[in-house]
Amino acid sequence: MKIDTLVKPLMESIVAITIGVLIGAIVLTFSGFSPIEAYKALLDGALGSTYGIAMTLSSATPIILTALTFAISARTGIFNIGAEGTVYFGAIAAIILTNVVGNPLVGLLGGILLGALWSLPAAFLKVYRGVHEVISTIMFNWIAFYTVLYFVLGPLANPNDPNKTIEIPTSARLPLLMKGSELSWAFIIAILAAVISYYILWHTVLGYELRASGYNERAARYAGINPKRAIIWSFILGGLMSGLAGATEVMGRPPSYAISQGMANIHGYGFDGIGVSLVGRNHPIGIIFSGIFFGILKAGATAMQIEAGVPLEMVKVVQGIIVVAVAVPGLWDLIKKVVRR
Amino acid sequence: MEEVPIIKMKGIVKIYSDGTKALKGVDFSVKKGEIHGLLGENGAGKTTLMKILSGMLHPTEGKIYVNGSEVTFKSPADALAKGIGMVHQHFTLVDVFDALHNIILGMEGHGAFSKIDVERAKEKLQKLMDELNFQVPLEVPVENLPVGVQQRIEILKMLYRDVDVLILDEPTAVLTPIEVKELFDVLRTLKNQGKTIIFISHKLREVMEITDRVTVLRKGELIGTVNTSEATPQLLARMMVGRDVVLRVEKPPKVPGEPILKVEDLWVKGDRGEDAVKGLSFEVRAGEIFGIAGVEGNGQTELIEAITGLRKVEKGKIILNGKVITTKSPKDLYNLGVAHIPEDRINMGLILEMSVAENTILGLHWREKFVGPLNSIRWKNVKEHAKRLVENFEIVAPGVDSPAKSLSGGNQQKLIVAREVSKEPLLIVASQPTRGVDVASTEYIRNYLIKLRNEDKAVLLVSADLDEVLQLSDRMAIMYEGQFVGIVKPEEVTEEQIGLMMGGIKDEN
Repeated sequence: MKIDTLVKPLMESIVAITIGVLIGAIVLTFSGFSPIEAYKALLDGALGSTYGIAMTLSSATPIILTALTFAISARTGIFNIGAEGTVYFGAIAAIILTNVVGNPLVGLLGGILLGALWSLPAAFLKVYRGVHEVISTIMFNWIAFYTVLYFVLGPLANPNDPNKTIEIPTSARLPLLMKGSELSWAFIIAILAAVISYYILWHTVLGYELRASGYNERAARYAGINPKRAIIWSFILGGLMSGLAGATEVMGRPPSYAISQGMANIHGYGFDGIGVSLVGRNHPIGIIFSGIFFGILKAGATAMQIEAGVPLEMVKVVQGIIVVAVAVPGLWDLIKKVVRR
Repeated sequence: MEEVPIIKMKGIVKIYSDGTKALKGVDFSVKKGEIHGLLGENGAGKTTLMKILSGMLHPTEGKIYVNGSEVTFKSPADALAKGIGMVHQHFTLVDVFDALHNIILGMEGHGAFSKIDVERAKEKLQKLMDELNFQVPLEVPVENLPVGVQQRIEILKMLYRDVDVLILDEPTAVLTPIEVKELFDVLRTLKNQGKTIIFISHKLREVMEITDRVTVLRKGELIGTVNTSEATPQLLARMMVGRDVVLRVEKPPKVPGEPILKVEDLWVKGDRGEDAVKGLSFEVRAGEIFGIAGVEGNGQTELIEAITGLRKVEKGKIILNGKVITTKSPKDLYNLGVAHIPEDRINMGLILEMSVAENTILGLHWREKFVGPLNSIRWKNVKEHAKRLVENFEIVAPGVDSPAKSLSGGNQQKLIVAREVSKEPLLIVASQPTRGVDVASTEYIRNYLIKLRNEDKAVLLVSADLDEVLQLSDRMAIMYEGQFVGIVKPEEVTEEQIGLMMGGIKDEN
């Protein structure tokens, strides 16, 4: 039984990945590229060297964390897509605080706290005013974007480099795991976060209550669980993960150690996280693997462009197709559930 | 010469896909221009029979004749084409549409872009309303209208489709007494216009008041059709609840102890804001099963939810073992010694996606035994607990790690009973404890409730199954429209008296 519940989602994800890769190949063929060559370049770039592997893992880091945001919420029956905005705040909190106190722990803690705090308005709106979390979190993402952009362009602008904000001081940067690569302790932190998320969801009373109200709110209420409290907790735990994503991204991802102009280096992780979470079946351990899979796509994209001559846009198209195909089964379950409510 | 009935149904059998035999060969005929009552308890097959007549369900066997010629209905549209329309108990209106658009829905013309002739529809409706001598606002979203008006819109919707035979399923269930009176006026007007009306109900007084003839069903079988003028409420009650001999459970005599649950002048509102429980007072003592019988929808659900902390109490007091618990949460109540077997096993009693083990701690998952350091769950203890329950209650399950949905209905219900008993309660509130449960599990659960009573627990039993209440209760109340018609001892009442009380009539003898 236990094996069955494990194998089925795994198989579904693998089938979906295969379909995505095949459709991607068709698109590549019609666009005049050799799919075999392209995929070979992608895999080679992502996994063919220690540097490639380091790239893959460092690319996986932030999206594992943002996927946890989505997964914890989804387990509570909430469709929280506010990870994107929370990442921005996590990043800016880390930059500000480490420039006050040059200690990495302060930066991480700041990112976590601001992330959790930022997720609260959407939680309260949901619980007390019935505002649907999809609407509110989309709006909050924009509020976050422009608020943080103001700081990036204004108070935190780097006087020596117009392309980014002030940097994380050297003393507060997360140590690298491999010299010359982008892989730092951030990756270990993300794995730890996933394991802790798993522990909370499946081995604590809080997690039990979150999952119970996610599956069946009426039954949860009957069981003496307060679903409102469960929802607020799921937002808090989720926010803390995305806040951590933002903080680790600026503190542990060379070379910039800052937010770049237009926030390009911290942009899009929240949305990638949704795909990662769905492929990982909203399960923290599944998310580690699907995060690494997405990391492969991201890290391999550059190699695909350089070696197979596939333009970056095409790389993104292929990535998109794989993501969609891979996300379909999980998304399908979720849609069925939402419709049934 | 015998007049050809407008509706004739012959030998109707309906077996649902899950094997339930809802109708076992029922004959039914309606004369043109009459108001025909269809009377029976829950599960008698009234609604099923009418859904077949209105084309929503297909009979497994049997024939339907309209004006003497045989018909087959593939859909409600076919029935409508023959002039048969049904107003369901739960309305089928689009909340945000106004009356006009609700009524013309589906008749607005064919093709996605064809123009809707609103003016002509309005004219026709105005004429209809003038004839019927009632008005409904045509241009207000129906969600802003009272239930009585929504019902008229449903009736208008059918008349707009030129039905001759109008079926009303429990039409008074949702209405206030004044609205009932107004509805009856409308029905009489329709009758005078030559329409035929089939009136499904379980309320004896209403059936006596409005119908010309009554057909009584019981457990999927036809009991008989009588002229209302020749019937008495007593006769109808007897026809409705006449009992079969059923397997009896062992129940030794017992002198009940102290009152465990006291309810004083309790008022509770239903989902639509109506008063569902109206000033109830009663007590359940230790070592006693107090049963509540009655047709469903008479406030039983609201009463149970109020006692178990799931619904707000408007007025009155609930006292458990001397302690006022009126505003306590379910969690507090479990800690104080309440257990609750809810009526809705699938949506409340269990979380089907979760494992059997996880389900065995639902509502006691905070107990010391299951919680370790850092608020962690001691899965080892939980699994032991689950295994013990599965063993003690002879629950057939693939394992405690398999999801609750992999269990059969009967075993799911036993799982709930097992869990609730493991809360070591003083009071067990059991709502429809054996509904949809196989015979063996039913027997097990009933005997278990008696065992709890023998162990000096207080048991509050609510069931739409009259046999169950009669068999198990030491004392029983019959609930009707939010109140108790009477509190009696099962061995001291006749079927007729109970039938009358279920229909809202208290026998004065």
